[in-house]
Amino acid sequence: MISHLFKLIWNKKKQNFLLITEMFVSFLVMFAVFTMIVRAYNNYRHPLGFEYDDVWVASYMTPENIQSDDSAALFQDVLRKQLQSFPQVVEAGFSGHNFPFAMTMSNSMVSSDQNEGVMTNFYNADDNYLKVLNAKMLSGRWFSKADDVSKSPVVVINRKLQEELFEGKNAIGKYIEYGGDRLKVIGVMENMKDKGTYTPVENGLFKRIDAGAAKWTSNILIKVKPGADAVFEGKLFKALSNTIGTSVEIEHMDKKLTRQNKLSLIPMIIMLVVGGFLIINVALGLFGVLWYNINKRRSEIGLRRAVGASGNSVSKQLVGESLVLSTLALLIGLFFAIQFPLLKVFDLPASVYLVAIALSVAFIYILVFLCALYPGRQAAAIYPAVALHEE
Amino acid sequence: MIQLKQIEKSYRTDTIETLALNRINLSVFQGEFLSIMGPSGCGKSTLLNIMGLLDAPTKGEVLIDGRLTTHLSDKQLAHFRNQTIGFIFQSFHLINDLRVLDNVELPLLYRKVSASERVQLAKEALTKVGLSNRMKHFPSQLSGGQKQRVAIARAIVGRPQIILADEPTGNLDSAMGNEIMDLLLHLNATEGTTIVMVTHDETMAKKTHRLVRLFDGAQVNDHTLKQVYA
Amino acid sequence: MLKNYFKIAIAVLKRRKFFTFISLFGISFTLTILIVATAFIDNATSDNYPEVNRDRSLYITSVQEKGLKNHSQMNSPASFYYLDRYVSTLKTPVKVAISSFYAVTNAYINNKRLAINLKYTNDEFWDVFQYKFIEGKPYTLQQINNGEHVAVISEDTKRDYFGDLPTVVGKYIEADNVQYRVAGVVKSVPVTMPLSYADLYVPYTVSKTDYRQKTLMGNYTAVMMAATKADVPKMKEEYAAIVAKIKPDDKEYDEFISIADTYVASFIRNSPLGSSDESGISKLVMAASIFLLFFMLLPTLNLVNINISRIMERSSEIGVRKAFGASSSTLVGQFIVENLILTFLGCIIGIIISFIILQLMNNTNMIANMHLTINGTVLLYSMAACIIFGLISGVYPAWRMSRLQVVTALKSQ
Repeated sequence: MISHLFKLIWNKKKQNFLLITEMFVSFLVMFAVFTMIVRAYNNYRHPLGFEYDDVWVASYMTPENIQSDDSAALFQDVLRKQLQSFPQVVEAGFSGHNFPFAMTMSNSMVSSDQNEGVMTNFYNADDNYLKVLNAKMLSGRWFSKADDVSKSPVVVINRKLQEELFEGKNAIGKYIEYGGDRLKVIGVMENMKDKGTYTPVENGLFKRIDAGAAKWTSNILIKVKPGADAVFEGKLFKALSNTIGTSVEIEHMDKKLTRQNKLSLIPMIIMLVVGGFLIINVALGLFGVLWYNINKRRSEIGLRRAVGASGNSVSKQLVGESLVLSTLALLIGLFFAIQFPLLKVFDLPASVYLVAIALSVAFIYILVFLCALYPGRQAAAIYPAVALHEE
Repeated sequence: MIQLKQIEKSYRTDTIETLALNRINLSVFQGEFLSIMGPSGCGKSTLLNIMGLLDAPTKGEVLIDGRLTTHLSDKQLAHFRNQTIGFIFQSFHLINDLRVLDNVELPLLYRKVSASERVQLAKEALTKVGLSNRMKHFPSQLSGGQKQRVAIARAIVGRPQIILADEPTGNLDSAMGNEIMDLLLHLNATEGTTIVMVTHDETMAKKTHRLVRLFDGAQVNDHTLKQVYA
Repeated sequence: MLKNYFKIAIAVLKRRKFFTFISLFGISFTLTILIVATAFIDNATSDNYPEVNRDRSLYITSVQEKGLKNHSQMNSPASFYYLDRYVSTLKTPVKVAISSFYAVTNAYINNKRLAINLKYTNDEFWDVFQYKFIEGKPYTLQQINNGEHVAVISEDTKRDYFGDLPTVVGKYIEADNVQYRVAGVVKSVPVTMPLSYADLYVPYTVSKTDYRQKTLMGNYTAVMMAATKADVPKMKEEYAAIVAKIKPDDKEYDEFISIADTYVASFIRNSPLGSSDESGISKLVMAASIFLLFFMLLPTLNLVNINISRIMERSSEIGVRKAFGASSSTLVGQFIVENLILTFLGCIIGIIISFIILQLMNNTNMIANMHLTINGTVLLYSMAACIIFGLISGVYPAWRMSRLQVVTALKSQ
């Protein structure tokens, strides 16, 4: 039966060429759309790894009169104490500019004995950072006052970096090379998805904010009690402005997350709208053309009925023909799509591409099946006597 | 008027070559009403198509009005058909999307004729076939005989010297068929138009001037029924 | 002849209503997406309130220091000091607007927080950008030099901060923990214009950071306005000559680079597409064209497929026309005209749909203060796209049709 279908299609290759091209291009479009969706869903499945409710961020410009490292560290202590004096403040910790859901990024190459050249995000964090965000340690410990006297600089890395840099073995006590420095790993923390709900987990390396870095870290993460309102925020703003003396901005992390997610979702929504429109267009077109083709073949169908094919088998044959057509289109499409995981285009995991390919193949089959179903049914209703008489 | 010299026509499929026409020599004189008969598949329609320059012979020459047509381009052929030949088909081939008047106008569209003149000529042609009261109808609103009369009007509107009719009465009952036949005879008699008609119907063929019989692509009989012009 | 084509085109459209619907749907929605997208691009790139002098202006949005040894580089907006010293003194520009990038700060009113975007400007800022003052007027050079705490606020800020007060000039607004006296209220600008957008405009002299600091990098941008459009290249050269003489302030770097660009180029150069050597516009245009090609490919293929089906359905008509003297080229012409009529119809529907969508976007204020319109250029381009669309999707089927043998065409009914 299949070879019979292939023969039919091959003999009409000229007419079918355009249909195949259309299905092929539709497959590519769906492949692009599904790749985006699968990627976003994969990211979405990972837990955030920290809590952002009731966390505010106060950002300021370090005043110009603070020049020396020591005075900067002292200035941070003053601010920390001032914040903790508010009863509504649970905890406050300093961070570099790339705190969670900020637009800023900071990354660099690091290496270890096992592995050379891994790209990772660099974060600056103080002793309270972990508690403010309620992030989880996997092994080892977070920074503490004791690290003031540590000989080599200490760092905490996330689980993903441990996997990539130390091949998943315990990294505690090992060293990371970075631009001539040797950084000692004292802790491994659970991954934090700090760029938004739909973004991937990335490598992360946390450096303790020491006296030298204090001048450059001018963002305070503040965990407040639930129910802290704008009245309190106004008070806090006034107090900080008076202490700091430069421009201060207070933002809420949940709002920042919403904005960050919008940035990931808007391109996806646009893609979906455009893709959806294209697919509706193609579906209508396929339906029309298949319907027309079947109508044109009434006498052939009449003959098949006359020589003993049942109505059901005729409609099965017509749907089958369309599916064979789409198989040809999909084979060409697969050839192109499979290059993406093979050549590692766009640095996405192969699994994302493979799932996207599977989904788009299924999608095109279903689409073609649905478009051929009604015309096929209609063909089954053709009476051989009538159809043959028409010729 | 029409001269066919050593016409051969063969169709080639993947492996077999079928000969549809085999060395046909035939002259049609001006003002003659010729009918062609023969069993199904003997090549009658192919012969008519070649006469009408719709199809090119594999070998041989077609001369119309003394002009050799072998090397004419698509454009020249189109022009030639438009000027000298009118067609009538068994299944009418009217354009269903156009009204009767627009259908009849069709050949004039491909000439430089003003719109008002087109309408004028089309109305005249429709009057000749007795359908002046159906001008605004669509073909689907007409009976088979009326449709064929529209087709005749379309064939004569450009005043061609030759009319080629491919089983004009084949799809009609005998009463309507006779009507159409009378119309063609009248046309031939009054306007002097040369008519070549392919038919299955012996009684229709008997009414024409000359009858040519074909069998398996070859001419077997040429029988003059009435001497018109020497 | 054309009238006849028109008649038959309409008849064909009416006969196969489903095919007509598919064709019109494809054409009109493709066009709608194109028009809406171009309306956005047009809104972002062409002269719009208050940036009406873009065609005779050049933009300095960043300065760059490059180290040749280890390929290091640093990018940043310029400092006020740099722009004031090197750009304001240029001879070709008639006006130079210097302003900071807007920064968010907070104001608290009636126990509610109000995020306020603050911009520091010089006085010529108000000449280069043509703001519409609803009340009051901009602050003067005198006021700037005196370091007065005066401000121009946007209409939105007036509503959010002061509520329904009819006039607010002379009243005080507290933002960033500072009291400013309102000097004027301007019509709001959409956030898509980062150089002119802000809620609160104040003199650079009241900035909390020291604007006199002698560094090259900072947080300011400049817009140079020439007397006429013809002076723009001269202005670009004059600036390039000055930049060539400047040494980086950091010893780690060897080269100081800054380029005065046109509005669009200034943005693309700072994107991943651009670099100091090329603005990246050509790359962007190329990427956009490839996307556009891909986007138009499917509807075109669809239309070609449908057209072929339609033509084959009309084989009897084609046969008759050929028999009665239509040449192949005449028939190709007829079919292309028919297809153009169809695309034109789709075009009109598309324009109507786009108009409705843009109105909806404007009325729901999807992007605050952004007013999207279909202007003449957009319309013209859309029409051109339409005609190309109609030609492309008509030519191949028409060619297929004209090659149809009369004999087979007449048989297949």
